[in-house]
Amino acid sequence: MAEKHKPAPMVDEVSEFEVLEIAVRELAIEKGLFSAEDHRRWTEYMHTLGPLPAARLVAKAWLDPEFKKLAVKDGVKASLDVDIDWIGSMPTNFGTPSDYCNLRVMEDTPKLKHVVVCTLCSCYPRPILGQSPEWYRTPNYRRRIVRWPRQVLSEFGLQLPEDVEIRVVDSNQKSRFIVLPVRPEGTEGWTEDQLAEIVTRDCLIGVAVPKPGQTSNDPRPVHPAKNPYKH
Amino acid sequence: MSEIHEKHHAKRATGIGDPQCFKGEAGKAKFKVGSKVRVRDLPDVFYTRCQLYTRGAIATVTELVYESPPPEDEAWDNVDRSEWFYSLVFRQKDLWPEYPDAYANDTVETELPEFWLEPA
Repeated sequence: MAEKHKPAPMVDEVSEFEVLEIAVRELAIEKGLFSAEDHRRWTEYMHTLGPLPAARLVAKAWLDPEFKKLAVKDGVKASLDVDIDWIGSMPTNFGTPSDYCNLRVMEDTPKLKHVVVCTLCSCYPRPILGQSPEWYRTPNYRRRIVRWPRQVLSEFGLQLPEDVEIRVVDSNQKSRFIVLPVRPEGTEGWTEDQLAEIVTRDCLIGVAVPKPGQTSNDPRPVHPAKNPYKH
Repeated sequence: MSEIHEKHHAKRATGIGDPQCFKGEAGKAKFKVGSKVRVRDLPDVFYTRCQLYTRGAIATVTELVYESPPPEDEAWDNVDRSEWFYSLVFRQKDLWPEYPDAYANDTVETELPEFWLEPA
């Protein structure tokens, strides 16, 4: 009996795309374009990137109308003010091949709410937001947000009134997008640091709106179970 | 080998950026901000970034975003011909027949190169 038992694999088999990536990477290493260690170091570096520069960009735009104009007109130039150089950064010095360098900052108004998706794959402004969340890359989010945005946003806990236009931004070409949300009430007189704290990653993708007191490092809500298990 | 490498657009883009390195190559834009356009229903052979859901739909141009070879060429390393790329806004009601009337203001914004578009 025991010999016949075949345990199910612990993880899914690798996809064709993963096989392709491994093949291209190994060929590049074999040809001497870069070394395995270079690849590891760049992968490690990519995972240090996060959404803080974009949060700071939004906070600056809220405080400075001239900077807001620049951000909406030329996101790449405005990014320099938060120390993100889309063009001059290593490894390529022209934007990474899949990120390109056309950042568009989509400005919300009280009557217009943007939310970003890439229905074709998972394009994401990685230089200024870091790696995309897992859910952003799922076919579930990508195919549903563009067609049923209100239902999907309500699954994220965001319900918007009928008279607010929801604009789904489908990132299908060389532009990458972040959302510039409306500055919430209750933040009058705040400093740039205070404002940047409430602009979380999800606010920059557009599936949430900033709220005073909600930062990415504040304690999460905990509710007691309604029918707790009796030990 | 080295000659091909010198011409590769990755070299041209270094220090300038992509799509910035194609600026000025597309000539006169066929559409302007506010133009009504229809997405052509062209066959897509091998590679496209034109979503099926936009085919045949009418949109409004909101911005001329940049010039670049279309991805249908660039996917094959052909960067000889650049076009204007347009940011387009579609009404959700025009894309999905079941979209609720209550949310008639909702829209989708996406970008397409000129050859996908015709005047509407």
